[in-house]
Order: sequence, then C-alpha cells, then structure tokens
Amino acid sequence: MSDADRFSETDRSSDASDPVSVFPDAESMDLRPGADDCYKCSTCDSVCPVAAVDDDFPGPKFQGPEQWRLERHDDREIDPSVSACSNCMRCDDACPSEVPLSQMHNTARAAYVEGNVPRLSRTYLRNRLLSNYGRLAWLGSKLPRLTNFVMGLSVTGWINEHVLGITSEREFPTFATETFRAWWRRRGGAQVENANKRVAYFHGDYANYNTPAVAKALVRVYEHFGYEVVVPPQRCSGTPMFANGMLGDARRAARFNVETLADLVADGCAVICSCTSCSMALRQEYPELFDFERTELVAANTYDALEYLRINEDLESALEGTETDAFAGLAYHAPCHARNQGLDGQALEVLESVEGVDAEDVGDSCSGISGTYGWKRERYETSMAIGEEMFRHMARADADAGLTECPTCAMQMHHGTGYEIHHPLEVLEAALSTPDGR
Amino acid sequence: MERSTTDVLVLGGGSTGCGIARDLALRGLEVTLVERGNLTHGTTGRMHGLLHSGGRYAVSDRASARECIAENRILREIAGHCVEQTGGLFVKRPEDPDDYFEQKLRGCRDCGIPAEVLSGTEARALEPYLAPDVERAIRVPDGAVDPFRLCVANAMDAEAHGARIETHAEVVDLLREGEEVTGVRVRHDSGPGKRTHLRPGTTEEITADYVVNATGAWAGNVAALADLEVAVRPSKGVMTIMNVRQVDTVINRCRPKGDADIIVPHETTAILGTTDEEVSDPDDYPEERWEVDLVIDQLAELVPILREARTIRSFWGVRPLYEPPGTATVDPTDITRDFFLLDHAERDGVTGIASIVGGKFTTYRAMAEEIADHVCAALGVSARCETAERPLPGSENLESVLERMDAFGLRSPIARRSADRLGSRAPDVLECDGPNPVLCDCEGVTRAEVRDAIAASGTDLNAVRIRTRASMGNCQGGFCCRELAQELHPDHGHEVTMAALADLFTERWKGQRHALWGEQLSQAMLTYALHAATLNRDRADDGPLEFGTFDAGPDRGGETGVPVADGGPEGSGPHGRERTRGGRGGD
Repeated sequence: MSDADRFSETDRSSDASDPVSVFPDAESMDLRPGADDCYKCSTCDSVCPVAAVDDDFPGPKFQGPEQWRLERHDDREIDPSVSACSNCMRCDDACPSEVPLSQMHNTARAAYVEGNVPRLSRTYLRNRLLSNYGRLAWLGSKLPRLTNFVMGLSVTGWINEHVLGITSEREFPTFATETFRAWWRRRGGAQVENANKRVAYFHGDYANYNTPAVAKALVRVYEHFGYEVVVPPQRCSGTPMFANGMLGDARRAARFNVETLADLVADGCAVICSCTSCSMALRQEYPELFDFERTELVAANTYDALEYLRINEDLESALEGTETDAFAGLAYHAPCHARNQGLDGQALEVLESVEGVDAEDVGDSCSGISGTYGWKRERYETSMAIGEEMFRHMARADADAGLTECPTCAMQMHHGTGYEIHHPLEVLEAALSTPDGR
Repeated sequence: MERSTTDVLVLGGGSTGCGIARDLALRGLEVTLVERGNLTHGTTGRMHGLLHSGGRYAVSDRASARECIAENRILREIAGHCVEQTGGLFVKRPEDPDDYFEQKLRGCRDCGIPAEVLSGTEARALEPYLAPDVERAIRVPDGAVDPFRLCVANAMDAEAHGARIETHAEVVDLLREGEEVTGVRVRHDSGPGKRTHLRPGTTEEITADYVVNATGAWAGNVAALADLEVAVRPSKGVMTIMNVRQVDTVINRCRPKGDADIIVPHETTAILGTTDEEVSDPDDYPEERWEVDLVIDQLAELVPILREARTIRSFWGVRPLYEPPGTATVDPTDITRDFFLLDHAERDGVTGIASIVGGKFTTYRAMAEEIADHVCAALGVSARCETAERPLPGSENLESVLERMDAFGLRSPIARRSADRLGSRAPDVLECDGPNPVLCDCEGVTRAEVRDAIAASGTDLNAVRIRTRASMGNCQGGFCCRELAQELHPDHGHEVTMAALADLFTERWKGQRHALWGEQLSQAMLTYALHAATLNRDRADDGPLEFGTFDAGPDRGGETGVPVADGGPEGSGPHGRERTRGGRGGD
C-alpha cells in the first residue's frame, strides 16, 4: 500500500473541529488495486462465521474484492450488508493471496456509515454509543455500585432493547469497584525499575474498568520476570469503532495512542497488550487505515503479553514445577483476533508446564460475539448461532470454567455456558505465585 | 437451398454494418445483415473502447479530429448507456517534446475540442496513480464506449424497424451476373434464425437490390468472391485488459506517435493499447508475447502500478486500414484512419455493390450515414437520416433509471452496474418472477439479464457475454460459464448445453493464455480443477497437461516444455514483478 491510499493526515486537518464528518477522505482510499490479489478462490467465504449461519450475508469476497472492483469512482453507495460483517477478520487469515480483506471491509463500512446511516437514526446513535464504550465506562466507573445496580434493572434492559436496540438477553458486564488505573496509582506505580527491561502496557478499556484482575495479573507476572511496567495514558484501541464504521472516532483514539506509545517505543519500551483485539488494532488496523507518523513503528513493536514473554523469557523453565489448584479443568477458546496473529496455540502450550491445570482447546470456531456485534438486538441470534459450536465443545470438554484472552469472547462463553471465564495471565500469575514459581 | 430477397444486404455485423442496417431500417428500407460470427466478431469487438474527443488527431489529421468531436457529442446523446464520460488526458513526461505538447493544445483548440492544461500536480490530483514525473497534461473530453453494447443496440433497433439480422451466417459466395452483383450465398452455421448449437447448418441465397460490403479487414476477401479487388492493409494491434481500473480517465501519452500510448478505463477494467503491425491475413497472424510486454512496460512509465497489476487477458484486433492504390505508405502507423466508400460501379464498372474500408469506431455513425445516403441515391430512395437524433434502445430517458432500481432488490453495486449496462431497458429486463440471483459475481450480472440476452441470441453464450459482460471479469468464466450454460437447460438438452459451455469457455481461455505467468499461472489451476474435477470435463482428455507449452517459467527463457514444478514461481524475480511479469520463455 502506498501512502496515497491511506487517509491523508493533511487532508484531515478539520478533523477535530468537525466530529460529524468522519469520512471526508473516502476518495483517497482507493482499494480497487487491492482486488488484484483476489483470484476468486472463495476460501474467505468458506471460513466466514457469519456467512455460515446467515444465508442473506454475501460473504467477505463480495464485501471485499468484488465490491471494490465493481465500485465506480463516483459511487457513494455501499451495500448495507457490510454492517452484517462482524469484523472477526478470519477472512484475512484464510486468504492465500494476501487480499487486504478487513481493510476493505473497514473502509467500506466507514463509507457506508458516512453515506447511508443518518446521524440521528437509532442505529447510528446506538453504534456510536457501543463503539465508545470506554467513555461510558469511565462515567459508570465513577459510581460502580450504582451503575451495576441500574444496569441490572429489568427496566434498563427494556429501555436498551426497545429504545437503543441493545439486546436484553445479555447481562451487562459489571464495573469493578476499583479500576486498574486507580489501583496502579494507589499502589504507587511500578514496583520494579529496570532501564533494560521496560514494557508499556496497553490495557485497553475493558481490563481497566471491568476486569482489573487481568491487568493486575499482567503487572505481577511481568514484575516477576524483572520488567519495569509503564502504564501510559491511553484511549480505546479502536476495535469497536472499526467494527461499527466509526472511523473518525477510531482515528482520534488511534492518533492519541500512537503519539503516546511511539515516544515510549523510541525510549526502548515494547508495547504489550492483554487483549488480543487491542494488539490486533495496533499491529494491523492502524497501519492499514491511518498514516500518522510512527504508526508503523508502534505496530512493529507491539506484542501480545504472553507472546512477548515467550520470545524473551524461558517460560518453560520458569513454570517447571509450578502448581496451582485454583483452575482445574479449563475449556480454552482461541479468539479469532488471536488466531489472526498466529497466537492461537500459545496459551495451552505455556500452561502445559503448570501442574494442576488441565486446559483443553475447544476448536477453531468463532465465539460469535465479536465485540459489540452480539450486543445488537438484530445480531443477537446470528451471534448465538455462530457461538453454538463453541458452546457445544465447551460443554463436552472436561472442564467447568473457560479460558480466553478476549474480553468479549469471555462474555459470550459465560453467556452460553454459565462458566466462569479466566484469562491465561491470571493462571500464569497463580502459578508463579506458588512457592515453586521462580 | 433457401432463398430470400431484400432491399439492401449488409455484409458484416460490426459497428459499421450494424450502423448502416439501423440507418437504412429507420429510413424505411428492408434490410438484411449477415455476419459470419457474433455481432462485433471482427474488429469492433477487439478495440480499446475509446470514444475519441479528436485530441488524438488534432496535430496530424484535423479533419478527423473535427469529425470525432462532432460524433463524440452525438454519441453521448443517442448512446448514453454505452458511453462513460471519463474525460481524457494527454500527459507529458520529461522526455516528451514540449513543442508537440503546444501543437496538440493548439490543434485541439483549432478543431473546437475543449482543452485545458493541467500541471503535473493537478493531473495527479485527478489520477493519483500517474507517475510522479508527469510534467503537464491536456484535459480533453475523451470517453469510454462499450463497443458490444453499442453494436448490439444498433442491431436491436434495426430489428425493431424490420431488419433481419443473421449471425453465424458466413458469406460463401457473391452472386454476380455479368457486371452486376445481385446478392450472396451464405452458410448458416445452425440454420437461419437464432443460433442453436448442434442444429444442422443450411445454405441460403439472398438476393438484394444493393449489397454493402462492410466487412472491414475482410473486405478484400469478400470482394474477391465477385472478382473485385479491394487492397485492405490489415494491421494488428494488441490490447491488454487489467483486472481493475488503475485510472478513471483516459490516459494518452502526449508524443508524436508510438506504440503503447493509451489506457482506457473500461467498465470494471482498464484496457492498455496498443501496437500497429501489418499482417497478411486477418484470420491468421501471430499473437506474440513481446507485444504484451511492450504495452505494459511502456504504459508503466505513465502509471507505474501497472507493473504489479493483474492482467486478465490480452487480445489482438485487426485494423481495416486502406489507402487508395498508388499511395504505398510504408509504415502502417502512417496510413490514414479515414474511411473510403468504394463504389464498385464507378471504380470497376460492377453495379449493385459498394465496399467500406478504413475508418474509426468513434465515427461509425457518420460513416453509416454517408453510406446509407449513397445506397439511397443508388436505389432512388429519398429519406432523411435520423440516427443523429434518435436515441438507441436503452438510451432513452436515462436520468430516471437509477432511481427506479430500488424495486429490484439488488445489492447496491449490482444495481448500479445493471443500470449502467441496461440503461432504460433495466426495468423491463429485471422485472421477473421468482429469485434473481447473481450469476456472474465479477461483473454483477443477474439471471434476469442473462435470460434477456439468451432470448435475443439463442444458445450462443458468447453472444450473451457481449450483451451482459458475464464472464468478462476477474475469473474469466472459470466460475460463471457453468452458471450461464445452466440457463439453457431444460429448454435445450444436455449436449447442446455442454457444447455452448465449451464454446464460451474456449473463447475465454484464448485470451487468458496471455495473462498466465508467475503467480497467475499457478492460480489458473483453480479454474482447471473446477472444470476438470468438479465438472468432470476432463474425461476426454488425451494426455497430461503440458504447462511448458505456454509458459516455461521466468528463468527458462527459450526453453520449452519445462514443467512448471521445475522452473516455477520459486525462481521468480523480486516480489510483485513476477505476479504478471515473470516468464518470458517458451510462448
């Protein structure tokens, strides 16, 4: 991709003052040449979880290379079916020919939202709300108990379902009484200082507001290995924004993150993430969609937390002889975004060394929730139909809890089975805190 | 033998022949047109689809330039659904002469062709993939025209006004009685009327008051059947089709003359052209690899991403060049592009026939008008030409077509493309009972559109192709040939359906051979597997597939017959280049 293909920084100078016009630069995003890589083999269609359960969804080949090739320069019409894509990005992984499918989908979706979804429609407002979950969470976390109480009320569910179009089938994630960042401040920040081993932790919104235990586990595990952890200011990675075609919001968040993280990278830090969709956004979607200075630098230095440890530490030796009885049988689901980064096997390989943990892979199906997708009233059934295979395999596994890296996959796993769901870092933390953990 | 009679017999179903047939039919004459293949089978279906603004001729041939801009304006009106108003640029690279640029600009202005000078930066703002060192450009109202659609629309309107159009009817003899040509004997490939594969052929004698030989590059061969001599100098040119549009404006190189100097955005694709080489036989000439290499290499100087782009096929066309006896121009690029009406009565003392040679696609209507005037004069008919004002079928009231597309429940790009192709016929064609799935994914062609084309052309799927663009996209029929053939069943039996399928698939394969090297060659195995294995179409295969006969791989220049597994993509050059530009050996 040449720079001309991306959103041009200079053309977007009006960005900050004009938040509504989120996609003024659609013209310069000419992805027709990307269609050249496609030779129509249809492998992408065969792995698409949405196409598998929804006969009306034309599949990634149509959404991507076919639609772009058919597009005329002056077209503003994108087919509405692009909103049915869940942005799982499995097609990217499946394509044998390097077609930039998710880039095409993200761009087409943004153009569709820009051109075809009225700003005052329920769908737009709902999707904007969902994609900016972090902002809501910030508010909710101010009074977590009250928020949790209100969100749990049946009247709230009714309003969500009927006014906003957010399914009432799902229980809202509860807000932690103390956010990760509050804990971090209370704790006095890093407990280990090491100029030679520093990492910048991109925790994302969910680990901060809803599952600080995961973030704390990361800090403890990294400190165990002698790393100095830096927790920079950050905004949402943009994943839910891409998936809802809110590219203007995503752009603002991404710019903030790139600027902050690039300074740290320049300073010798690697960026590590505990959420595989966050690492996916920083590594792949940012460079595909934006052209801020140093986007590539950040992308090249971003890792999944476990991946980074496996590269730099001898995890196998460190875990030898460790033991925990906190997690017995775990049904592990590899998130699609982990799969796309080639990370789908690592959690089980690492945990094999831990005595007392018996984790079983429940197969390569998609969980179906795909972030905000499964929260939409009109997508709930599709989401559950996709998840069916995973639920079945979880039920058959010799396990009574689940394991995954992705917070929304975890919601879906819990929703479909009732199991408690853990993050591999939590298991690692437990193992390393046993007397044998070195 | 069947016999029939008509007022005027037009030989040749290209743009000129169909234009003449329509013109005469609108004037109330009874017309029969015979064509040995499909409509557009000769040169019309083998051109780059440029609707000239005249800019191209503004220095060398101002009469042609003026004629082009006049016809360009007329076709935008009467054939709106066949024309895309892309605009065109004459771009100047640093090594192209400055004085020629000025001459071009002056020439355009003198000929009444709107021309505007753009800086390199302005040109790149319009076309981002233009080379960074393009210095200046002249913007002119060039356009893109679909020659198939235009030709078929002319034939369709002629038929609507009483003409008889016979395709797959080859002229086997001209009937000459003394010093008068009275008609022709044709051989119908599958009986008269719409083509049906495997139906036995018949022979027919058609007599006419006047015969118009509009067979272009073949005019000499046809005239010879009546012992008349027409010295056509056929000249071949290659065109290479790119999978996507790298540009949305016609890009011409602004230099005096040369091969490979034009890129025409055409529907979903871009067409690169061309070369100019005289050939002795318009039916038998070599299609050479260096010609394809040349157009890509040269045009990549204007649009560098062409080097790494996917080509979907290449094809050759034969220009029907002609010059009056005694001119003896050596270089075919110097032969005039003007057309000649050869009145054999005046020239050879043989009445009842005229031949048309030379000419340009853009001015087909004006040519047809002049010839129709001549025919009317010869027959003593006085009737006015209406073709400059009457829109072709599909081009009436185009403004409202897109608004009416919502009713058909098609996905946005499919609706848009269907409306572009069908024009004002869209509502009639797309209105159907039952589901209307897309049969050709690459071009977005639905079953209703395919069925409409079948109704007009029988079992001839190549005729369906030129009417709909089905099988003209990325997969070149690999996926959709079967879907199209399926529509012939059960009206036609298995054998007819399979014969029609084979015909289309063979035609598609012909052009693809010139796009298969490097990565694309290995990808072609998908199509092979689909047809050989899934459709069981390899059962009559009489030997292993010899890939080396058409491409020996990038590092095996000159060696033939090397299996791709030994010299294949692993040995290719730097990434990107080998996708389309790997092997040069063993064609």
